[in-house]
Amino acid sequence: MRSILMLLLFGIIASWLPAQEGNLLIKNGTVLTVTNGTLEDSDVLVIDGKIRQIGKGLTAPAGTQTVDASGQFVMPGIIDAHSHLALDGVNEATNPVTAEVWVGDALDPLDVGIYRALAGGVTATHAMHGSANAIGGQCETIKLRYGVYNPDELRMEGAPRTIKFALGENPMRVHGEGRNIMPRTRMGVEQVFRNAFSEAKVYMAAQAKYEQERRSNSNAVPPKYDRRMETLADILKGDIIIHCHSYRADEIAMLMEVCKDFGVDRLCFQHVNEGFKVAPELADFGAGASVFADWWAYKFEVYYSTAYNAAILTKNGVITSINSDDSELIRHLYHEAAKTQRYGGLSDEEALALITINPAKQLGIADRTGSLEVGKDADIAIFSAHPLSVYAVPQKTIVDGVIRFDIANDPDDMRLDVNPAEEIPAVYLHTEEIDNCMEGVFEQLFLGEK
Amino acid sequence: MKKSRLIGGLLMLCFLPFVSYAQEEQEIAPVTRTFVLKNATIIPQPGQMIENGQILIKNGLIQAIGKTVQVPSNAKVIDADSMYIYPGFIEGVSHTGVPKPKEEGRRDIKDPGNPPNDAAGILPERSVVDLLDAKESSIESMRKLGFTAAHVVPYGNMLPGQGAIILLGGDSPQAMVLAGNTSLFSNLDGARRVYPATGMAVMSKWRELYQQAKQAQQHEKNYKNNPRGMARPAYDAVLEAFYPVLEKDRPVFFTAEGVKDAYRVLTLQEELGFSVVLTELKQGFYMTDALKAKGFPLLLSLDIPESKEEKKKKEGDEKAKEEKEMDAEQKALKKRREEAIAKHQSQAATLSKAGINFGFSTLEVKSGDVKKNLLTMIEKGFSEDKALASLTTVPAKMLGMSEMLGTLEKGKIANLVITDKPYFSKESNVRYVFVDGTPFEYEAKKPAKKGDADATVAVAGEWSYTINIPGQAMSGTFKINKENAKISGTISNPQDGSEGELQEVVLSGNNLSFSFPYDAGGQAMKVAFDVVVDGEDFEGTVTAGSFGTFDVEGSRISTPD
Repeated sequence: MRSILMLLLFGIIASWLPAQEGNLLIKNGTVLTVTNGTLEDSDVLVIDGKIRQIGKGLTAPAGTQTVDASGQFVMPGIIDAHSHLALDGVNEATNPVTAEVWVGDALDPLDVGIYRALAGGVTATHAMHGSANAIGGQCETIKLRYGVYNPDELRMEGAPRTIKFALGENPMRVHGEGRNIMPRTRMGVEQVFRNAFSEAKVYMAAQAKYEQERRSNSNAVPPKYDRRMETLADILKGDIIIHCHSYRADEIAMLMEVCKDFGVDRLCFQHVNEGFKVAPELADFGAGASVFADWWAYKFEVYYSTAYNAAILTKNGVITSINSDDSELIRHLYHEAAKTQRYGGLSDEEALALITINPAKQLGIADRTGSLEVGKDADIAIFSAHPLSVYAVPQKTIVDGVIRFDIANDPDDMRLDVNPAEEIPAVYLHTEEIDNCMEGVFEQLFLGEK
Repeated sequence: MKKSRLIGGLLMLCFLPFVSYAQEEQEIAPVTRTFVLKNATIIPQPGQMIENGQILIKNGLIQAIGKTVQVPSNAKVIDADSMYIYPGFIEGVSHTGVPKPKEEGRRDIKDPGNPPNDAAGILPERSVVDLLDAKESSIESMRKLGFTAAHVVPYGNMLPGQGAIILLGGDSPQAMVLAGNTSLFSNLDGARRVYPATGMAVMSKWRELYQQAKQAQQHEKNYKNNPRGMARPAYDAVLEAFYPVLEKDRPVFFTAEGVKDAYRVLTLQEELGFSVVLTELKQGFYMTDALKAKGFPLLLSLDIPESKEEKKKKEGDEKAKEEKEMDAEQKALKKRREEAIAKHQSQAATLSKAGINFGFSTLEVKSGDVKKNLLTMIEKGFSEDKALASLTTVPAKMLGMSEMLGTLEKGKIANLVITDKPYFSKESNVRYVFVDGTPFEYEAKKPAKKGDADATVAVAGEWSYTINIPGQAMSGTFKINKENAKISGTISNPQDGSEGELQEVVLSGNNLSFSFPYDAGGQAMKVAFDVVVDGEDFEGTVTAGSFGTFDVEGSRISTPD
């Protein structure tokens, strides 16, 4: 009797408590799992930020917040494999190799772009270093946990390390033309890679020798700690996935050769506009390709392009994703994915995979995100119509089971931090940069004295 | 143009550099090093008060403090009747006494990816003591606010150098320094156009230097023990500067204005384990819980934004008009901005209420804003006791100087600030500051007389005037005639009796203004008086072209028959 009373009391108290963060029951939606087909009129139960159950007529523990998705489409949160969102530093453009630098040290949770991307159904992005250097800095896979102030809370804990490489004109222009140092040509870019990896091998050998020596000799002196070499060594050991800015087919082939020579097999090409020319080779290597749907001709090396790129790569068995590299495009990646149905006739599932499970695979997080499956992170986007329909409007975006965007509660001014010194916040509709990957480079290197 | 030669002479003086007069205080000649301050309200430390108390200062130290003290025969007695005595304030981190480095021209660096350390901003071995200048004007600007000691650091980027604790008085850097090389100073700011140019590269370089220093220190130790057969350690001043940091003997004062930088510094600290003092924090209100949980010493910025609303109120009532012209979106943006300003102004109150103690760093605040900003913080709910603690006991403890500084106690260094009203009141003036037992005396600022548009005063007659140019006074006379409603006047030169006509003579209530042209060595300028007449006296200002504005006062010599 007493225990029943206690239980009752507990129930009452529990119902008073605010809905627990990370618990959610999404009811009666059309569930696009991406990996296991489409389930009509189904529910998704989220407990502690993970998908607990998918099916019909699910029930949730008392006090769980319920979302009515009848008539709506529930899909995995969109993943953008190439973004510079939520970063307050993109390019350390002072050296052709800056492998030791890491954008994880420049995460910006106050960037209102996070919220805008959520409003486009995006739940995770690959925050990348820029493409000023042949070997740029390390990147960071983040979850769009809008509302946090601690940069660390954006990180997707446990996501594999990645690093930015860059081919072609950007590193040639910054270092070759800008400073008259290598790389001045496309050949030079290749040599920068080969030199860097070779140096790293020497460093690794010196370390191995020291480890050996110190067992018998307490006077052994270790090689001087070098973070650049440490990072390059980690690439050679396979601990870091290379994401390489690329356009031309010859260069794409070149980097695959370099990687083969040094035993590196974790490789994903970014932009890769001429990827369609080397699609079988990419598939053979096992390299990913993260492309624009239809964006090119913004510099000389990006003229030979086609909107069929994603479809051709997909049909050739390349793990392909569509990315934004842009704070505006990121808000409608579902449109970008849909373009592959007009240009290349991809199926719904293939098209959705371009912005969900495929980028997840390229980032090494497919075991946790990219599809609606039991046990995965509850990163979910709910749309008013099928997300590949031009009429689809994102309704709710959920990260780790927490609703971070809700169109029903969407005030105009979602800035987390307001500059007390700024009269009217600056809005840039068009940036002069021809390429977001070059953010900050010219300010840093060539402009003004300040 | 034959205007008053005397006034001409006065204006010629304006050409002379005023540097020697610019300091408002005159150091009292050191006839004696013994002082007794009498009949004052003494606040020996936050939360304590001795009414009608006395302090004996001898040879730079507080010799006695209490209701009564013995007055030695050689003591200079300062009657501090109705005054308030506080422990001298301490700047938690500042550049006081450090000349600002000259802007360097563009430097051609061959390999920007591997620049020399000075270009990269990596100078941890540099001591601020070698940069100090006892004549630096910032010393006086902070001292006259009541600051008597400072933890000073060099200017720079990633690792500008090592800090020292100085007294804000003394003829030479040697005389000022209380403790040298007490801290390592660091910023997340990158260098210009060379590595590390971004904050993320600075973070990486920090980790690398720290690990390299660990290696180098170990290598040195091993080598000392048994050098035979071992490669000799390379000498590296940069790494050596890190050794005390590795041992946690020397804290790192790390600037972190914004919440992001503050978290980044905490990340570095957590990885590497050094002792840290978060410095110049401006957005602590976003991370109160984290700051409380970490419990690191903290220095808030004294630089806070001013509310535009309040500024407008001060400036008169343009506000209502402007409000009308704004649309809903502009209003909403403005509201958010005002909220942001209030958040910054309330940072001290917010953190203090959360039970966090902190001092203040003064790297960015203009000295002229210090007191105003303190009052704003108090207005926003920061208690006066806590404010005083943030200026005295907290920084003293943080800097390891509690035995010497921070309170008024027997045996401590005689650093005092003496005000005519409680310090944290708008009307208060600092009247004396003692640094290391040496007094500096200051004039009370006279409140400007307010004009009253409704007053009626008789201005006709001959008036004498005295213009207070710092360090000297210039006198003369002028006449005001009033015929019916028309006011005119002349200004005369007592040397040759020549007279000049006054222009733009306006009497509005009790506010009299006029001007006259003057040719200062070929440069035409306007000299304008703007004064408030009160019976037979007046005071106000006189503006001499672009040379500046000076106080003027005077009285009526005669009325017309």
